[in-house]
Amino acid sequence: MSTQIAFRSVKEIPPIDYYTSGRRTCAGCGPAIGYRLISKAAGPNTIFIGPTGCMYVANAHQFLTSPYAVPWHHTQLGGGGGAAIGVASALRTLMLKGKRKVEDVNVIVMGGDGAMADIGLSGLSMGLSYDYQRVLYVIYDNEAYMNTGVQASSTTPWGATTTFTPAGKVKPLGNTRYKKNMALVAAAHPKVKYVATATLWPPLDLMNKVHKALNSGGPSLIHVLLPCPKGWFTSPADTVNLSKLAIETGMWVLWEQSEGHFKLNYRPKPRKHVREYVSLQGRFSHLKDEDIEKLDKMIEEEWAFWEESAKVGRLIVPY
Amino acid sequence: MDSEVIRMSAIKPMPPVTIEKPKAKVWNGARAIAEAVKIADVDVIAAYPIRPYTGIMNAIATMLANGEFTADIIVADSEHSQFEIVKHASAVGARTFVGSSGVGLAFAAEAVIVTALSQVPVVSAIGTRALDDPGNFGMEWSDALMFRDFGWLISWAKTVQEAHDMTVVAYRVAEDRRVLLPHFIALDGAAITHVATPIIPTTKEQATNFLPPYRPPYKIDPAEGPITKAQHIAPSLIGPEQRKAIDVAMKRAKEVIVEAWKDFAKYTGREYPPFIETTGMEDADFALVGMGAYMKDIELVAERFRKRGLKVGTVRLRYVRPFPAEDLLKVLDGVKAAGVIEFGYSFGSPYGTGSLYHEVATTLYEANSKPELLDFLFLGGREPTVEHFTRVAEMVTDSVHKKPQKKAYWLTLRGEDI
Repeated sequence: MSTQIAFRSVKEIPPIDYYTSGRRTCAGCGPAIGYRLISKAAGPNTIFIGPTGCMYVANAHQFLTSPYAVPWHHTQLGGGGGAAIGVASALRTLMLKGKRKVEDVNVIVMGGDGAMADIGLSGLSMGLSYDYQRVLYVIYDNEAYMNTGVQASSTTPWGATTTFTPAGKVKPLGNTRYKKNMALVAAAHPKVKYVATATLWPPLDLMNKVHKALNSGGPSLIHVLLPCPKGWFTSPADTVNLSKLAIETGMWVLWEQSEGHFKLNYRPKPRKHVREYVSLQGRFSHLKDEDIEKLDKMIEEEWAFWEESAKVGRLIVPY
Repeated sequence: MDSEVIRMSAIKPMPPVTIEKPKAKVWNGARAIAEAVKIADVDVIAAYPIRPYTGIMNAIATMLANGEFTADIIVADSEHSQFEIVKHASAVGARTFVGSSGVGLAFAAEAVIVTALSQVPVVSAIGTRALDDPGNFGMEWSDALMFRDFGWLISWAKTVQEAHDMTVVAYRVAEDRRVLLPHFIALDGAAITHVATPIIPTTKEQATNFLPPYRPPYKIDPAEGPITKAQHIAPSLIGPEQRKAIDVAMKRAKEVIVEAWKDFAKYTGREYPPFIETTGMEDADFALVGMGAYMKDIELVAERFRKRGLKVGTVRLRYVRPFPAEDLLKVLDGVKAAGVIEFGYSFGSPYGTGSLYHEVATTLYEANSKPELLDFLFLGGREPTVEHFTRVAEMVTDSVHKKPQKKAYWLTLRGEDI
């Protein structure tokens, strides 16, 4: 695989956008910024598959407009895994049989946390077990079903309120489940070429990971944390700041596994207290001091495993 | 004289004149469909096991493992993925094949429906099977007929030969620019899928001449430009118009089906009536209406009744969608009584009648002279025999003498048919 870093500075980012105007995403939408950066990194020879989700509904709707300057096809909420394999299989077979010009075409699924971690998990797992090149599954994780009105998914963090897990008198915590670590799930697939986590910070990290994933020689997955002002109850101006705080507090861990080799991409030094991250978000506003302390302690304990993984260069499951 | 004898002996005997007959093969329905997929130059196939359709994929996988043709077979994680795989492969420009049975189709329902509503010409086999619960390998039509309402073309095979031929024709009809709809080929579970009979295979050359390459009007491919497909819409924008487009495609399919079978006969010499196959309907007083493999038995019963002096004919539907109402009306208008023989039901339906009955009854509403119409339901997979169909013919012919008390009869049921 390519070990080259594709984008060394902001100046090297191509000026062309493949995810443009003609959509109605919210101000400060994290997934929209993510979409823009991912499509920039992938370039023009790309097909996007869009499972149902906010990046389906909010990217169009009112006037039959399309923000995509590359081919794009909707798939059902649980269809992302299969759809990408169908596209990749068709391209490879048509090229093999001389029915299409032979060239590299990227197939990128932009699936939300619901589409990838919940309803489409089985199909995603099937996709990761095949050997089609240039298939990338992106989980744009805004940590709930935002499009339907902020319902908990299996990647909603512990202690967050959603409309399905509201904090109340008898159940004061909100969501009591722990966030599913989808990059770990993906990394558990034998011989998977490339798995990574990302967010909007540091700025070039996501784009470089997309480039690496597409050139890894097999299906790959990037789990991207993307703040959602609507569902997190945050200021639109804070989206990138929250991405930064997520990694600085250790709440989100930047790592990649390439051909089985683990690498920690970022170490918060010193790690900021998680209070700095949660205090900006309405979805955590009900948490008591002891809840926040508990959350911080969980992060502390988990980080020991990430450090250990970094030391041995192999993933150690931290749970 | 001598010279004459010598001359005679110099004449070499003529080799016996042989008319080259196409070689018959003994194949079961599963193999026959797989062989049709091979000669149809299919590119992408998605498989997931469920009886009784599985044999088709087993046969295809064996052929691919032995290099008999070039295609990609994907072993999916579920029926839902199966149908998503072929839908998207087809949208990119690949010719695809898929299939399922019973609750497998129910699991795939969402993906099955969007395949039609996004007008992708996937071809799928259905080995018809009773729906769970309880798990039941028996034959029912409820799995296939569940998808009557969403824009899939649905044809029904009577024999292994017809199943083989229908597969190649299905691609031609589905991929026609006037249609562009997916196509189910329903095979009665076990009765077609697992029964081996001699058949004449279509040759690769015949298939290539008959079936042009798949060329969709546009492809999801960067080489074709930035096409956005199935983008979310506001219902008021193009909601009804998009549905009408599918309606028109289904209506146009009728002429395309007629053309395709005519052409198929030209290339293979095998002739089929496009929509309705009848026996003895020219002067029939009574009609037995049905579909699929059991029509062979029903035709036998009708013939026996004719020998007894009762003018019984049979009507076999080859397509459920588009439903050939005009053709059916023509043959049934004027008969005294008709019986619908079927394996699909809708609980709580009008008069407790089956899915096919509703279609036939709606058709006959336009008849000048409406026959007495009875329904015979064979549900839950218990296999009917010639005796059951004989009872059907008796009840239909008797119905003109004595007005029946009810419309629907469960003849394989043990106990009281209340």
